[in-house]
Amino acid sequence: MANPLPRTDAAPDAALIAAWRDGDEQAAAELVGRHARPLARFLAGAGAPDADVDDLVQETFIRAFRSVDRFRGQCQFRTWLLTIGSNVLKDFGRRAARRKVLPLDEAVRDVTGDPHEHAEARETEALLAAGLQQLPRLQREVFLLRAQQGLEYEEIAAALATTPGAARVHYHHAVRRLKEIVK
Amino acid sequence: MNDEKLENLAKRLGSGAAARLDVDATARKVVERLREQPVRRLVWVQQTWLRVAAALVIVLGGAMAVRQSLIRPGSAHSAHFVADDLNDLSADELRDVLATFDELISTDSVAVPEGSTDLHELDAQQLRAVLRALEG
Repeated sequence: MANPLPRTDAAPDAALIAAWRDGDEQAAAELVGRHARPLARFLAGAGAPDADVDDLVQETFIRAFRSVDRFRGQCQFRTWLLTIGSNVLKDFGRRAARRKVLPLDEAVRDVTGDPHEHAEARETEALLAAGLQQLPRLQREVFLLRAQQGLEYEEIAAALATTPGAARVHYHHAVRRLKEIVK
Repeated sequence: MNDEKLENLAKRLGSGAAARLDVDATARKVVERLREQPVRRLVWVQQTWLRVAAALVIVLGGAMAVRQSLIRPGSAHSAHFVADDLNDLSADELRDVLATFDELISTDSVAVPEGSTDLHELDAQQLRAVLRALEG
């Protein structure tokens, strides 16, 4: 194993990826530290049950690190990671459907603060989450990458192997549909 | 609901799950799993080369088999006459060649052109015709 390279927060992802390719485990751990929460948000937004988010995040990173040679910098590392996460979630959904595992009840989630506000926010969030599940996968991914992760259409298009114009169209279809659901 | 409100709602989506994630623990688990199940790159490369080698053997073997079937033994010789190789010989040299045939075969079977009794009377073209006849 290579000796861990001294690095700062400013070390770009590309440097950490190169270090990981050389066998630096610390570089892998740092990449997890940087991108785990946005990935968890993405997975939860895309329908991952809360109880499985940690496992799905781990699985996504494992897959990403093992196939890192396929990452050619066509988009940001995080965007690439999110698309892998989407595939991991799809596989999880197939397995769960076979086992008929039910997601954790929303009611058991830990909440603090004003119960009324939380109840209202939770209700709207649940509506949006349910609405997202009704969208075609590409529309859902584009919506989350754009609205939740704040990515540009060019970046989304590069990650999903489509055009910025097509990504824009998918986004607008998703927004129109979600607005109808979350009134 | 307007676009802005929808986007704000989307930004909050999954934030609870993300906040509950123990990032350090996740990083440790990921590194441990990577250690426990190292990339089988070497095995993959070996398998790939093995497949490539097997494919090459099949292709080359097939090509040789096709080549063998196209070049049948004897087929090249069936249209080839020894007499054709004698074009450069003079009439005297051709007579010498025929004389050696005389020692090997019966003179009765030689197709001597009608009206000729002696090979010495034949010209080069007639002698080639005799040789051709001898070759069958």
